[in-house]
Amino acid sequence: MLLVLGGAVTPLTGCDLFDRDDQPAPPPDPLRPMVDESLALAAAYRASATAHPELADRLNPIAETHTAHATELARVIGVTVPSAASAAPTAAPAADPSGARAALRALEKTAQQSATAACAAAPAERAALLGSIVAARATHQEALK
Amino acid sequence: MRQPSAGEALAAALSAEYAAIYAYGRIGVRLSEAARDAARQAEAAHRRRRDALVVQLTTAGGVVPPDRAGYALPFPVTDRASALRLAAEVEERTAAHWRAALASTTGADRDQALAALVEYAVRATRWRKTAGQTPLTVPFPGRPT
Repeated sequence: MLLVLGGAVTPLTGCDLFDRDDQPAPPPDPLRPMVDESLALAAAYRASATAHPELADRLNPIAETHTAHATELARVIGVTVPSAASAAPTAAPAADPSGARAALRALEKTAQQSATAACAAAPAERAALLGSIVAARATHQEALK
Repeated sequence: MRQPSAGEALAAALSAEYAAIYAYGRIGVRLSEAARDAARQAEAAHRRRRDALVVQLTTAGGVVPPDRAGYALPFPVTDRASALRLAAEVEERTAAHWRAALASTTGADRDQALAALVEYAVRATRWRKTAGQTPLTVPFPGRPT
């Protein structure tokens, strides 16, 4: 326990002593979480398409859309797209197709809300991209009905 | 390219709403029953946005573009299939003008533009569903292609 505590304290002391002039790290880009959110949505669609092959024709194009959103968001904020494996693990798809579709609709609804907030707060040069992402998430809910 | 002012972007959206209303006049007569009702509702939505924009632009002292007697359709509407295809196209094109207005607006005006983009993108998806078109959605609704 003491050792762990010491490990945590030492670098901090070092900072104070030697790195006083360092600027604090820039805050993470507010769109960074949306990259992960898009990748997680893509993963959820792929998992449902695997579990319910009869839905694959409908779900796979939407999964590709979410991946395209992640790619575009990453380009805008200047980061590389994390590998799909780093997307947050999603819950297992529902056993029945209609339950799986309902679960994806609920994910899209929440994601639409977060993108709406991001669009409202965005500078001009990002507003159109975010607006398209909001609209895409809304159309996915319609397509899943 | 210079960013259009909010007034210029909303004037462009108004011109798109005029064209959408004109197009629905040609679309509705080729449809029957539920699809005709849906076209009527869609046209009413475009009329509401047109009226609101005329008031908004007039109040702001901006330029209110005039309506025209006719608009060139991207392809002839001769039957149900071409009417449904044009309906989806009209919604996407009108959505694109509202998407373009996002960058020029903030606050309540941006919320209004986003609401229009989302509504029209969803309606385009519904028209594709009625027409049996796939895929039902596009990756970046309203983005010029």
